[in-house]
Amino acid sequence: MSNFLITSGPIFDDKTEINENWIKGQRHIIKNTDNINIDGEYNLTINNKPYEIVISNSLLRPNAKIKRDSIDIKSKTSLVDDWLNITLFDSIDGNLSLAQISSKITSADNLSGRGIDFKNEAFLFNSSRKEIKKNIKYKELKKSSSIKSFVSDVTFPNVGFGISSTPKSQSIHFKNATIWTNENEGIIENSDILIDNGKIIAIGQNLETPKNFSIIDASDKHITSGIVDEHSHMAASSINEGGHNSSAEVSIMDVINPDDVNIYRNLAGGVTTVQILHGSANPIGGQSAIIKLKWGSEIDDMFFKDADPFIKFALGENVKQSNWSGSRFPQTRMGVEQVFVDHFDRAKHYGETWDRYNSLSKRQKNSNNKPRYDEELETLWEVINGKRFVSSHSYVQSEINMLMKVAEKFDFRIKIFTHILEGYKVADKMAKHGVGGSTFSDWWGYKFEVNDAIPFNASIMHNAGVTVALNSDNSELSRRLNLEAAKAFKYGNISEEEAWKFVTINPAKLLNLDEKVGSLKVGKDADIVMWSGHPMSLYTKAEKTYIEGALYFDLAEHTIKLNQIKDEKSELIKLMFEENTPGANLKFPNPMPQIEVDCEYTEF
Amino acid sequence: MKKIILLNILFLNLIYSQQTPAPTQDKSILIYGSTAHIGNGQTIKNSVIGFTDGVIDLVASTDGIWSNEILMMFSDSNNKKYDTIIDASNSHVYPGIIALNTNLGLVEVDAVRASVDDDETGTYLPEIRSIIAYNAESKAVESMRPNGVLLAQIAPNGGIISGKSSVVQFDAWNWEDAVIKYDQGIHLNWPSPYTFGRWWLGEDRGLKANNNYSKQIKDLKNFFEKSKANMNIENSMNLKSNAMKTVLDGETTVYLYADDEKEIVDGVTFLKSFGIDKIVIVGATESKNQLNFIKVNNIPVVVKQPYRFPQSVDSDPMETFAIAKKMLDAGILVSIDPTGTASARVSIRNLPFYAGSFSSFGIDKEVALSMITHNPAKILGIDKDFGTLEVGKSATLFISKGDALDIISNNVTHAFISGRNLSLETHQTRLWRRYSNKYSDSQ
Repeated sequence: MSNFLITSGPIFDDKTEINENWIKGQRHIIKNTDNINIDGEYNLTINNKPYEIVISNSLLRPNAKIKRDSIDIKSKTSLVDDWLNITLFDSIDGNLSLAQISSKITSADNLSGRGIDFKNEAFLFNSSRKEIKKNIKYKELKKSSSIKSFVSDVTFPNVGFGISSTPKSQSIHFKNATIWTNENEGIIENSDILIDNGKIIAIGQNLETPKNFSIIDASDKHITSGIVDEHSHMAASSINEGGHNSSAEVSIMDVINPDDVNIYRNLAGGVTTVQILHGSANPIGGQSAIIKLKWGSEIDDMFFKDADPFIKFALGENVKQSNWSGSRFPQTRMGVEQVFVDHFDRAKHYGETWDRYNSLSKRQKNSNNKPRYDEELETLWEVINGKRFVSSHSYVQSEINMLMKVAEKFDFRIKIFTHILEGYKVADKMAKHGVGGSTFSDWWGYKFEVNDAIPFNASIMHNAGVTVALNSDNSELSRRLNLEAAKAFKYGNISEEEAWKFVTINPAKLLNLDEKVGSLKVGKDADIVMWSGHPMSLYTKAEKTYIEGALYFDLAEHTIKLNQIKDEKSELIKLMFEENTPGANLKFPNPMPQIEVDCEYTEF
Repeated sequence: MKKIILLNILFLNLIYSQQTPAPTQDKSILIYGSTAHIGNGQTIKNSVIGFTDGVIDLVASTDGIWSNEILMMFSDSNNKKYDTIIDASNSHVYPGIIALNTNLGLVEVDAVRASVDDDETGTYLPEIRSIIAYNAESKAVESMRPNGVLLAQIAPNGGIISGKSSVVQFDAWNWEDAVIKYDQGIHLNWPSPYTFGRWWLGEDRGLKANNNYSKQIKDLKNFFEKSKANMNIENSMNLKSNAMKTVLDGETTVYLYADDEKEIVDGVTFLKSFGIDKIVIVGATESKNQLNFIKVNNIPVVVKQPYRFPQSVDSDPMETFAIAKKMLDAGILVSIDPTGTASARVSIRNLPFYAGSFSSFGIDKEVALSMITHNPAKILGIDKDFGTLEVGKSATLFISKGDALDIISNNVTHAFISGRNLSLETHQTRLWRRYSNKYSDSQ
């Protein structure tokens, strides 16, 4: 076994220090001797200003003295591992600003790396070492002017890309666009569209511009209705109530997080309406929320007005807990059927008991016990009565078929099978049942039940008469659902126009929202997107996204916002450095991880 | 008069459950009339591309060829140069697309542990070789071909040194048959200087400094130094140190997985201190302030595909798309890392679309193409034979009816690996036909 010490001199010498001890071949460093001596003078130019940097004591605790034009410049220096960081505080255009340089020390002869200059731009530097001139005298440090106080604007939400005032509905005449109507008119070229008061008021060629309308020249642009995502998990603080095999009593409407930046990112991808679904931990999940992506609004203003209520059901590997250990019933697809049958039996009995009670006369009611109100069974009774609609997570054909049969037994219909990756195997039965299919474009291979998932699924279901949508189930993917539509066109035997409907009018139909959104038609909500080109080409960008006539995303304005964010960050960093004095009560920045929330996401 | 014989290629191997590898090219083939995308930034409109015995022997523009010569190429006379003519007018020809950093063939179904073979247990695993676990008959592998992805690096995952990767082609009976280059790279996951709190242990889930970072680097240095010392020992039986020999000799390319600037500078400086020059950075998502450092050190970058979250909540949502152009503008050799998106492994068939999406942020389409053809071939050291359409190179190429980099126009009609005419059928196309027929028959 190698056990030994490394010391700075003879071990019994008074001044000797132990540098390292080695125990069983493992090195333990007590005093780091690996540092390279970089003591010396270096010249650097930042924002066209010359700086002389004199570094001393670099082996232990480096110190930098900095001068510009023989004025002392305040600075802070640190050495962590072999990274030397120096922050310079200098007066730029009358304001105290800061610049930083970071250098990985690899040689004693020069200092090189990258810095952030006084204008918050990155720059590269490389400075050779010069010997320190002896008996150099430093002037006393002048008391520096203090950093300009900074208070950032309050925005809604108060995060990056937040807005300072709620966008208002505009009156606009879009001219000469290619318009994807999703109606009988199809795709019409060189056409105009007028929006006013949150609605579409005219579509046609060479329209007159009404008074007080602004004009947008949309030549070479394509205009479509906003994208509708049937299956999203963004902007929710929680997704799965996984404790029971039925959690019909919980609602995503209670946990909407309007500050989620994914709302803004989705607007940048032309998305305007989403259904935020409960997760897939249980056969009977929770109630969903349907929102319009009115970034900066309060939650109540985001909810899609008068939308029908939906609930999430789930089948397959997630609910039978195949990919993690679990023991609650059910553990097989056989058990899943019985969970539904059991709950619907009880919900039916519950509802009928209430109906009987409600039909009693006042006197009879007095002599009968009032049935107990049950939030869970109440919700399921709405399902049986066709007052609440089911969107069921589903993968393989056996379970898809099963749920349709259970619904038929209780005399209601499943509204949407979501994911529905083997929908193509039972598309004829689905068409007969009247259920829609909201699927992924081309995912497969991530679990056993998606072995037979094929990208042709959407087109086969469509050709068999099923209303087909494409969904995201992922807060990153949803910002490019236009490309998912492109995949539906690529894989299969459908037109581009039909493929485009898979992300607009079809999901709107499945969510019972097609009276208001999903196509460009006079009288419908002005939820529209202006694209730089063909909406399904990956060379295209969404340039403007409107909801009810109000501009919620504008590519040109986006660039301005980016610069504002950059400036604000730079101001805040300055303040942080100013506050960072010995003994100050500091809180370190603590950014949270971004999670691509999907069906399986569970809070702990 | 020009008279072009159209030849329909028959897919005789439809009946097998996996696609049977195509036989060796025994008839010479001429692809006529297409726009040829060479892969090095060049294009030839109205091109002729000929190949014989698996090797390209003609790349030219029809503009410069007399019609007699063309006739000669496919006429019935004894002088004919090419046995088979494929009329590809209005179509496009591309070199076979090459995917880097894939676990194709190592994992079949992520959630089924029995089918997962890409991540061996341990921290330093230079002795691990991905190639011997590569399943040439994977359903995911065959599904790459109909989009034009024909070659890949098969790389192990996990640990700090994951093991060695090999390069394969996608039409093979077994791994020996598939391999193009054995143990070409070693994969080094540089430790992160930052860490998110382990919330499942009750820690704050926010980002913080990784207090273990210096120790991890020192341990790694120790491992390299030990391996170096071992090189002087004759007949050493130290499995790991022996496996490091080709790395320290500079023979094996080191794939350095590093995202932020500190990781990149620390990692590169570390490797250079051991005299290692064949370095490729993989990931590089937060490298924009160190592009000059990367360029000066002459290191290629395999940048993460764009379909992912930007770094932080107030980052530009488009930054993941814009980064490739910044790298190219800095003069760096760039290819694309297909990991880090939903359903990532099977989505490697979308590699041409990752390139297309990068190009939509200011990169010329032909340059974007080279990011998935010529550049990865250079990175893998197989550019003598693959990655461009040039005389003397392997006839590994495909024909698409439209722009192969855009989803709506990518429509591959033929694909060849070393002149062998591949089936474009897959498990998925078979199910498509089976069920499309079910409903059309019943109507």
